[in-house]
Amino acid sequence: MVFRESVKKFTGKINEVEMGVGERAIKIGGENVMPFYSFDGDIGNRPRIGMEILDVYPESWIGSLKEIYSDVANNPVEWAKYVEKKFNPDFICLRFEGADPNGLDKSPEECAEIAKAVAENIKLPLVVAGTNNHGKDSVLFEEVAKAVDGKNVVLLSAVEENYKSVGAAGGMVYKHKVVAESSVDINLAKQLNILINQLGVKSENVIMNVGCAAVGYGFEYVVSTIDRIRLAALGQNDKTLQMPIILPVSFETWEIKESIATEEQMPEWGNQEERGIGLEVSTAASLLTVGANAVILRHPKSVETINGFIRELTA
Amino acid sequence: MSRFIVIGERIHCISPSIRRALAERNPQPILQRAKEQLEAGADYLDFNIGPAERDGEEIMSWGVELIQKEFDNVPLALDTVNKKAIEAGLKVYNREKGKPIINSADAGDRIEMIDLAATNDAMVIALCAKEGIPRDNEERIAYCTELLERAMALGLDPNDILFDPLFLVIKGMQEKQVEVLEAIGMISEMGLRTTGGLSNISNGAPKELRPILDSATVAMGIQCGLTSAIVNPCDKRLMETIKSCDVIKGNILYADSFLDL
Repeated sequence: MVFRESVKKFTGKINEVEMGVGERAIKIGGENVMPFYSFDGDIGNRPRIGMEILDVYPESWIGSLKEIYSDVANNPVEWAKYVEKKFNPDFICLRFEGADPNGLDKSPEECAEIAKAVAENIKLPLVVAGTNNHGKDSVLFEEVAKAVDGKNVVLLSAVEENYKSVGAAGGMVYKHKVVAESSVDINLAKQLNILINQLGVKSENVIMNVGCAAVGYGFEYVVSTIDRIRLAALGQNDKTLQMPIILPVSFETWEIKESIATEEQMPEWGNQEERGIGLEVSTAASLLTVGANAVILRHPKSVETINGFIRELTA
Repeated sequence: MSRFIVIGERIHCISPSIRRALAERNPQPILQRAKEQLEAGADYLDFNIGPAERDGEEIMSWGVELIQKEFDNVPLALDTVNKKAIEAGLKVYNREKGKPIINSADAGDRIEMIDLAATNDAMVIALCAKEGIPRDNEERIAYCTELLERAMALGLDPNDILFDPLFLVIKGMQEKQVEVLEAIGMISEMGLRTTGGLSNISNGAPKELRPILDSATVAMGIQCGLTSAIVNPCDKRLMETIKSCDVIKGNILYADSFLDL
């Protein structure tokens, strides 16, 4: 008997979403199969990698990273230009740590100026990440969206508490991309997409952050959530879940004790930098294989490794 | 499992305004009912032109083109006993959004509708009946098997057949209701898909009771395996029930706004 390879066909397809403008604009999504399953159908656009930078000096980052960025880390524009030139990721994620009300509490106007300057000085698409303070983020994103008008920036992110203002300013008035963020809750992920859509933001302008965790921190639940979302999007052709997924991996993996503890504190855990890279790489690789269309990473070595991983799997 | 398929029944020549519109080739009343049903969430629209012995071919192709052109090639069920009219409709049908459904074949005079579906790669509703109402489920399943065998011999995919156990009116045939549900269960256990003219069950009941009876019956039917029905999609209670059943069965993922979709 002749062997016949069985092929899994789905009726649904993930939306294709464009980030940025000009020759370095990128597209994410577009697949109609499970991640990297090129033997089943069209895997769409290659998963993308973004690199994280901050609006302030990266005080809490590990020594080796501070060293790499020592000449530029006080100036977000120079920092962004350096990352673009030196590491050439698919996009840059500018994170407004300095806007946090529990920290420097920079004004939305000041942040908007920075975002504008960064966007104007790089060719790569820009993702702007907020503070995780829902009230602050809603005014922050309104100002940023206005300042970077025409740059097709990704706003990370709108949550249940502020999706109206973020969605209205970001997705409707200034036509940027809005990330709908839920925290590992499949029903809320769907609900938030419906609400943002009912607000008037078109589905093709929405990306999802369905919640992220570092490996070892409830990670199986994250994986099964993404898996179920993808199966509903593809298998049930659920249009309210067909948005591509972006996950800020570095926001999680560099915050846990396994990457914070120094070698002096935990000699048996070995080199701190290697640990951090290991956590970032294993988290990102796992999330990409379950359905993330874009990940945000911090360490250049992680970017290089994950790039190779994607290259091998899409070759 | 796939979502429940709602086939809208409201373009039917039994309605005086539709009958007149068909005779006069007046698009407006037909398009109006198509619009209402689609907005209410119908997946397929049934286009019933009656026996149309005189000008069936012309009416069917006119109506198929009219509705599909106006509503982005919405998939249709072509509903008449006139075989030539079905053939004419199939010729102009656009398959972009789904295969046409032939409504309907039975194990009697209309068995050749199965052949028509097979030749034209169409779906078909297969009534588990020959002459009148089947006596019991043994007879229903015998007809079901007969129709299935004929279809498979002609190369028709069993998934393209929607078996209709024949819903019966509660008011008058109350004692037959459970039997019909059991028939749905038996057909579903064979891995086959089912449908039926659900509104039959509430015929003759006061208007305000019909949505209640229809909703209860569809819910019980879905639990037995019913995969689609020919219904009035403008019945809000019924549509809410169908969506809720889809959530409970896991055919669609729950979100607080699931009724809005």
